[in-house]
Amino acid sequence: MNSYHDPELEDILQDDELRRVAAVLSSVRSPEPPLDDAFRTSLRRQLMQQAWAMSEGRNSWWRRAFAPPGLAWAGAAAGLVLIASVVVWGALQQPGGFQQVFVQSAIDGKSSVALQQPILVSFNQPMDHQTTQAAVQITPATNVTFAWDQNSRTLAVQPASGNLAPNTQYQVTIGPGAKTQAGQKLAAPQTITFVTQPPASPAPVPSPRPSPSNALGEKQLASLNGATTLSAQWSADSSSIYFVDGKGQLAVAPAKGGAITVITPDGASSPAISPAGDRLAYIRGGKIEVLTFAAGKTDEIKATPAATLVGWAKDKLVWAAADGIYTEAPNGQSQLAPLPSSGEVTVLSIAPDGVHAIYRQDQKLFVLDLSTAKSTQLGQAKAAFAGWSPGGAFLLYSTADAIVVADPQGVTQATLPAGEASWSTQDAILLGGDTELDQVRSDGTGFTRVANGTYHSPLWAPNGTSFGFVRGDTLLVAAAPTLPPEPTALDEAGGVVNNFMQARLKNQSGEAARLLDDSGKKAYAEGGLKLLVNGDPHFSRYYVLTQDLVATAPDTVRVVVRLVLTHGKLDVTSYEETLTLVRDAGTKQFLIDKATAGTHRNLGKGAEVVSVEVAGDAVKVTFDSDLDPGTVGGGLVILDSKGRQLDTTASYANRTVTLSGLDLKEGAQYRLVVLTTVRDILGHNVAAEYDLDLVGPAVKKHGNRRDAGTPAASPGPSPNAGAASGG
Amino acid sequence: MSDPSRDDERHLVELAKRDPRQFGELYDRHFQQIYRFVYSRVREQTAAEDVTSEVFMKALKAIPRYQDTGRPFAAWLYQIAVNAIADRYRTLRPAQPLEDFHDLSVAGPALEDLAAHRDEVRRIWGLVEALPHQQRTALVLKFQEDMKIEDIAVAMGKSAGAVKLLIHRGVTRLREEASSLRPVE
Repeated sequence: MNSYHDPELEDILQDDELRRVAAVLSSVRSPEPPLDDAFRTSLRRQLMQQAWAMSEGRNSWWRRAFAPPGLAWAGAAAGLVLIASVVVWGALQQPGGFQQVFVQSAIDGKSSVALQQPILVSFNQPMDHQTTQAAVQITPATNVTFAWDQNSRTLAVQPASGNLAPNTQYQVTIGPGAKTQAGQKLAAPQTITFVTQPPASPAPVPSPRPSPSNALGEKQLASLNGATTLSAQWSADSSSIYFVDGKGQLAVAPAKGGAITVITPDGASSPAISPAGDRLAYIRGGKIEVLTFAAGKTDEIKATPAATLVGWAKDKLVWAAADGIYTEAPNGQSQLAPLPSSGEVTVLSIAPDGVHAIYRQDQKLFVLDLSTAKSTQLGQAKAAFAGWSPGGAFLLYSTADAIVVADPQGVTQATLPAGEASWSTQDAILLGGDTELDQVRSDGTGFTRVANGTYHSPLWAPNGTSFGFVRGDTLLVAAAPTLPPEPTALDEAGGVVNNFMQARLKNQSGEAARLLDDSGKKAYAEGGLKLLVNGDPHFSRYYVLTQDLVATAPDTVRVVVRLVLTHGKLDVTSYEETLTLVRDAGTKQFLIDKATAGTHRNLGKGAEVVSVEVAGDAVKVTFDSDLDPGTVGGGLVILDSKGRQLDTTASYANRTVTLSGLDLKEGAQYRLVVLTTVRDILGHNVAAEYDLDLVGPAVKKHGNRRDAGTPAASPGPSPNAGAASGG
Repeated sequence: MSDPSRDDERHLVELAKRDPRQFGELYDRHFQQIYRFVYSRVREQTAAEDVTSEVFMKALKAIPRYQDTGRPFAAWLYQIAVNAIADRYRTLRPAQPLEDFHDLSVAGPALEDLAAHRDEVRRIWGLVEALPHQQRTALVLKFQEDMKIEDIAVAMGKSAGAVKLLIHRGVTRLREEASSLRPVE
């Protein structure tokens, strides 16, 4: 028994006596504790009910964010199964010799093929290079080069420009002229069809990975001596934390670590720093004590009835007592607002601006306007107060499974995942708890995991660079990474367009109509536009050509989206809708306010524009086909709002025409015109003149910053959220 | 070489992350050990049921955001349990006598040794109860739940080194306070 041996503990149990103690400890067997099977079953049932509720609510923002990869993997898996089936089937067709030549490709039928890859075409027999290459036809018109694998069974068809064209349906046909090395011909032409993905968008800002706790620079500041809740405040300059421990001792700990200074040894509660940072108020023995830092002097204010909570309204003290909220007055004190006289009433917090207070009456939570004495209930019964925005203009309260962001009138602004919350001056809300620390913006966007581990009662420093928290019985401080940049108005509007088009693709008219305002609904009901595009050819995919911020009060974004109609497997027609989205003043969400549709264009009749990028001094127009460079000069023009042609210099490379030498004005209207004189490499002219209205590029604007102080620095370029391929 | 049971568990966790309705399988697998651990700390059936409910309900709500750190899923459940118990300890002290829980029967030793050992075990675990909370938790997870140091570190939100230090301090203190300790041979 005393020969206890555990390799994990060898280095710390080197003493025989220690090993003997460990031996005794490890010799104790844990019997199965008394267990009521009904409890086990009942808990499982409760969990499953909760799980079903969670599944039904999975369209919330953070879950939606996780859905596409799952679908993509499922699609990829299904594709692999399909490919494997084709391969097996192909192999089974060749008993004792090849009866027929088969062609296949992993990307056949795919709808979002990456641009930077060759088109790989596989054969079930070794092929003759020359006749096979000569039999390859590719549309849209594309210059290609060829390469073969060692067995001559796989042909790589590589666009000479390096990349495939974006947003384009390709058809690669191997004609009957292709022969095997044994001289056998294809019985019939075989075609591979696929659609490419949108052009590469700027690299998205990577979501921070959970940090090991030491990566946050965690430092232990002080023991809380058994305090069950954190009663603390940062100094105004973010250099130290004032806190009350479990014995009622009020002390201050430097955030960089070091010796703690005791301000009062016991009986203290409710520390509150004045907005100017020059005074500290707290309650001790039913009296309010105010420490003025510069003078090192403590003044005592006798409150009647006794104060229970203290705060500040600018430079004046505000405190709660049993019957109301009070402030200082020349002759002593004056009541700002009474509290209800019925039920059990507890004041929980006074807003940082001293304009509102939060109290609980029995099981209900209320916000009290101190100027009107009017109370408003927050949420349902058992809601709990969770904090204020830094300026006090918004508040947080928790429900059974979420944190609600509300204004002082109780109107919900956003819903966040559950957690112990603290709102920073940088508009980041920390959500702490037993097992993790998360960060999210006040509008619910930008949710990121900061760290795994225990982070109770997070408390942001005023400068937003570090935060205090509780683990076990200890007050610690750490630095949190900054949140990714806020989505721009273009990103948000692009997301709405994406949802709108996806709903239409799925024939969900109700869901699509939900993204239209009254004017937008009228455009689709009376304006001749079809919300659902049924019949043959059918609506199969869409992509965004341009999106521009055209106004900022309110935010207004104009998006040109192209709808592609397909017959069988082939894209045959497309048309464009120009959508104008306006941010709703109440909900802050974009809705489609105006919509117009362009004329239908037949596909496969010459080069088509598939992507347009607008900068201040240049417009880049990408086609689906390789062009005859000699037809590009003069074939593309830019007109101003009065129809005057602007001077440009046209250059051409890799299917893209760049019109440079421009000086486009922010918000001004322009028109791109592609004339029918432009030809592809096979000599086909553009089938019909193509016009696209453009807007001079604007500075991108950030979304819904609430009560969080100075706006953040300008972000990097936004991802092209709306340029998703449908279908 | 990958551990098939770990792979299987990872698969179950991934399923539950995508669809919380798959959480039932994880509950079935881990209920007994979590309940046993919770009971060992609170030693009262109703309290153990309350805390166990809290642990699994929290785990279910958090599973969509669970991230595999390479440690067993159970370590994460223990972490939630350790915190839930700590919260409860602030208001509820264990009430049941120690010997009601610790099974003092040990297979093999002679009767006289067994009697001596029962005394020692009772005494040692009585001393464990008087240790600081974190030392106590580390000792229970190591010697009673037979967990690896790395997994205890996850459960307690500490580094492996810190857990070893807690165990070392706990065992050292037990040695000092149980000077007449005599283990069963």
